[in-house]
Amino acid sequence: MRSTVVRPSTAKDRLVIDSMVAKNNPATVPQKSQRKRTYRSGQAESGNGAHSAASDGNDFRPGLISAFILFHLIAIICWGLPWQARPVQTVNAILRPYMLWTGLFQSWNMFAPDPTPLNSYVKAVVITRDRHLKVWNFPRMEELNLSQRYRQERYRKFQEVLPDIANQALWPDVATHVARMFASEADPPDRVMLIRFSSPIDPARGESEESPAQPWDFYDDYIDPGDLK
Amino acid sequence: MTSGSFKKAWDRFFFTPISPLPLAWFRIFYGTCVTVTLLLLHSEWLDWFGVHAWVTRSTMARVEPGVRLDLFSVIPQDDRWIAAFFWIFLVFALMLTAGLWTRVSSVFVFLCLTSIQQRNLYILNGGDVFLRVTGFFLMFAPAGAALSLDRWIAIRRGRQGSEPKPILPWAQRMIQFELAFLYFTSAWWKLKGHTWVNGTALYYVFHLHALARFPLPDWIRAPVLLKIGGWMTILFEFCLGVFIWIPRFRYPILLLGVLFHFTLEYSLNTPIFQWDVLTAYVLFIDPADLERLWYSVRSHLTPALESLGSRH
Repeated sequence: MRSTVVRPSTAKDRLVIDSMVAKNNPATVPQKSQRKRTYRSGQAESGNGAHSAASDGNDFRPGLISAFILFHLIAIICWGLPWQARPVQTVNAILRPYMLWTGLFQSWNMFAPDPTPLNSYVKAVVITRDRHLKVWNFPRMEELNLSQRYRQERYRKFQEVLPDIANQALWPDVATHVARMFASEADPPDRVMLIRFSSPIDPARGESEESPAQPWDFYDDYIDPGDLK
Repeated sequence: MTSGSFKKAWDRFFFTPISPLPLAWFRIFYGTCVTVTLLLLHSEWLDWFGVHAWVTRSTMARVEPGVRLDLFSVIPQDDRWIAAFFWIFLVFALMLTAGLWTRVSSVFVFLCLTSIQQRNLYILNGGDVFLRVTGFFLMFAPAGAALSLDRWIAIRRGRQGSEPKPILPWAQRMIQFELAFLYFTSAWWKLKGHTWVNGTALYYVFHLHALARFPLPDWIRAPVLLKIGGWMTILFEFCLGVFIWIPRFRYPILLLGVLFHFTLEYSLNTPIFQWDVLTAYVLFIDPADLERLWYSVRSHLTPALESLGSRH
């Protein structure tokens, strides 16, 4: 008698053959098909008591939630995309109060559009009433050990943005904060200068030719003694 | 695609119940990242957020006007109150991690997190922003449905069975969306920069002295490799944003994402930025695979623990 080889032509055939094989030798059935998959991401087994909330026609909650989801998808996409199209900017203008209030504003422009082309750090110079000079160095990550760098990294971020002319509203606060560190009734701080030292990163010049850091005195003003109280 | 089939797909994606396991793990990782963030800032809570901080509250209100969810506007402006605020924040972050009063904890953690970020926007990195925006949706998610003290208490009191109930996934989907959106948008932003397009961007990144952590071998910093690395970064972020939704590509993409972030964690000093983003990866793992992984770890650990116990 000629033996017949059955080649499964459909998924159903394969399941039938698998079950027939399993009856004779369960070990040959792959573990995945044997394992009870109660859950699957995005799917549910029928008959386990779970049901889609959307299937209940009397429940208005899925409609409300869908509206909530859709609203936030549109809001987040319009806000987060670097796209100047007029409809997008119109949506942003309308939703701006909500995005700012909830804290959903977001911009994923890490090292973008371009990384900063400068190595920089900031120092503060305090001149006291008796004309003594005191210097406060914002923590420089490259001078700290690993643990200190991890804990004080916020200073790196702050030094990066502080000298930006768009952030000049912060300069008096920063100067006052530094002055407070040297507050003394005998010889109080009188004037504070904030200086950025920067050197450009130039791929054409290479590492061996990094130029020395150039100072820029971006803030220089007197301290009101009342501000130190 | 007809509107009927779109609605079916929408309902299936957002409302078909799924296992609570991935969300529970996300809650644990998220809570841990928030806790670590607070602890890293601990010695400077008042320097950054106190009455006489680097940037005062009045200056922040002037440069960033508008009504904001900000608990600093309601607590007394006194450093003792502000310090107490942080300790309470820390307690709720730990409670969220453990899954105790999960819903309440998630709301408090979000309010506190968004408050400190609104208080000083100048020291934030992308990881902080990711924690904030995903924390918003975590408030709406049944994050205590598994691996939580809430559930353990409910089982002890006979209110729940031994198997956790499936949950509606819509809030989890929004967190997954935020992760994919982060990568996709990041790639788009980079394409707007001429250094990423001409391949010199990574040269600048790896020559920022303040950002460097551990040294990279010289051969990695060769110009041609940095160029290829820059272009691969854009391609990779685009793939992470798009192909992560396709099951066939998901695990390889996630694995590459983990390697990508580990590389950044090694080479750049951006505290827990990478871990903040990696928290959401668990949401894309099939719950059956999570269980299999857990059984595998347990089966390897149990004999080791038993032999350790027998020696003592």
